[in-house]
Amino acid sequence: MIRWPDRTIRWVSYGLIVAAGAAYVGYFLVYAYYAYRLLLFPFDYDQGEGFELLDTLMLSQGRLPYLDSNVYPFYSSNYPPVYHLVIVPLIWLFGPQYWTGRLVATLGTLITAGAIGYGVYRAQGRRRWWLVLLASLAYFASNYVYHVGPLFRQHLFLVMFETLAVVIAGGVIAREEKTGRQSNRGWLVIMALLLLAGYTKQLAYATVAAVFIFLFLRQPRRAVLWAVPFAGVTGLVFLALNLATDGQWVVTTVSANINEFIPGQAIGLFRQWFTLHPVLILTAAGYAIYQLYGERLSVGAIWFVIAALNSVTAGKWGAGESYFVTAVAASCLLTGVAFSRLLDWLCSRGWSWQPAIGLRAETAALAVIPLLFLVQAEAVFHLPTHTPWLQTIARALGKPDHTLVAPQTSCSAPRPAEPIPYVDEAFILIGRPPTDRDTAAGRRIAAVIAAGKTPAFSEEAGFNLYVGRDVVTNPTQLLNLYKAGELDLTEMIAMLDSQAFDTIVFRAQFYPPPVLEVIGQRYQTTELVEMNGFVYCILQPKY
Amino acid sequence: MITKRWLGIGLAAGGLLLVLTLLAVDLIGAGDYQGIGPAQRLGLLGGGGLLLIGLSLIPLGDRPA
Repeated sequence: MIRWPDRTIRWVSYGLIVAAGAAYVGYFLVYAYYAYRLLLFPFDYDQGEGFELLDTLMLSQGRLPYLDSNVYPFYSSNYPPVYHLVIVPLIWLFGPQYWTGRLVATLGTLITAGAIGYGVYRAQGRRRWWLVLLASLAYFASNYVYHVGPLFRQHLFLVMFETLAVVIAGGVIAREEKTGRQSNRGWLVIMALLLLAGYTKQLAYATVAAVFIFLFLRQPRRAVLWAVPFAGVTGLVFLALNLATDGQWVVTTVSANINEFIPGQAIGLFRQWFTLHPVLILTAAGYAIYQLYGERLSVGAIWFVIAALNSVTAGKWGAGESYFVTAVAASCLLTGVAFSRLLDWLCSRGWSWQPAIGLRAETAALAVIPLLFLVQAEAVFHLPTHTPWLQTIARALGKPDHTLVAPQTSCSAPRPAEPIPYVDEAFILIGRPPTDRDTAAGRRIAAVIAAGKTPAFSEEAGFNLYVGRDVVTNPTQLLNLYKAGELDLTEMIAMLDSQAFDTIVFRAQFYPPPVLEVIGQRYQTTELVEMNGFVYCILQPKY
Repeated sequence: MITKRWLGIGLAAGGLLLVLTLLAVDLIGAGDYQGIGPAQRLGLLGGGGLLLIGLSLIPLGDRPA
């Protein structure tokens, strides 16, 4: 029989820990580089960023962005204001710059990863910093977090509030049960975080439910006592916003968000989520099942299950991978806690196969856990490959050194596929760092608008903001309102019909069909500009 | 404090309610599909799963949930 001396395996495990650490630090550096490139990029990278910048700009001027979309500038926001309010001081200081929101969002992801690490650290009997680090960095390594984290989007700021609320809830309950004293101050902080999450993005309801279910399982009466004022304050803020916007708050943040459910989209995204995060999901699910039958349910386990179930809402039109990020954060937390507790348990038992094969169970686990993190690292592979040494890394890892993809053309003839220096297991056209060429393309579109006299009727806000013109329309919001029967297109169609705008900018043609129809009749394509893998169509009046 | 038994009863009742509601959708003729649609199938699967998990928890008795 082959003997595996414990010391040898322990050295192997150290090597695997170092390798896993290097992989995840590598992913963090990739994330940091992408965030840095985005900070330098002065236009929309993801459609919707400019509208969040406009929301922030309006709030910085004391105006609410929940407007009547039936009248010029046909704009309304469909997101609550907390994320934008946090950025307002930066807008006061530096003006309407994309980097402000991108910086705040990126800092939010750092706080989320820190909270995950703290949650894991707190669950450990014996300190294992490498496991704290791996669980935290696994969050950044997720393709979904990488794609959306450094963007001027509110979603991952929501996940930050959610993660903080859950981690603090676990700590407060543990302290209460240890000392026998209730901490109402602790729960007040948790309620405030949940309220902030809800007014960052509506999707927070799943985490609110998870925290209240957890409290109900432990202290049912107290859960009801906290639920009443929480619902009251949430409702009062809702009513105040609705009154202040003359009813537009309900139309723009509720009616415009009830979109059709596409089962195929939901199933496809669930499959992708599992393919990308198998180790995190299986470990978290296994630990949740163990807690359900073997001990008490923790807030992390309840959060993971509810967040995973709620991810089905990613099947709504307009939703996407970011809807899984709460489940990703929960799985990182639960995986770190599960492995920490497993190691503590094996250590306390002192189980050993010696002398049969000369190996202690704890040592075996110490080797298997970083190996599993390496398997997880392989599943989420993504890497920009714009330099020879990054291409060498990709090839050395058995990956291609480029991706062959055709530019997205919704408003022009299809173009042939071209190699781009970015590789991603979940390629969705975002994730490749923007280049100087993309910045030049954005400036070209802005220059066309600047040459005219009116704001552009544009699918993205960035070009009008860049040249200091009004932002006109929010296309997906208009389409949602149109589908919900809440949009009167009379004024907009009259303006387009009279060629009141001297430039139209299309990227995906998300406008309602009657709007596209009148544009087709009164405008013609004059220039095509490719930026970030999308072909933008510039249209000007037919004379 | 809620016990495993009560958690099981709650989950089983919730699952059963979900299954019955989704089946009732067909009886009253709501929804776009004739027969069981894709979203309904997803809900029935979830409701059935919840019912089974709930039933399996009931024998665990008064242990804290």
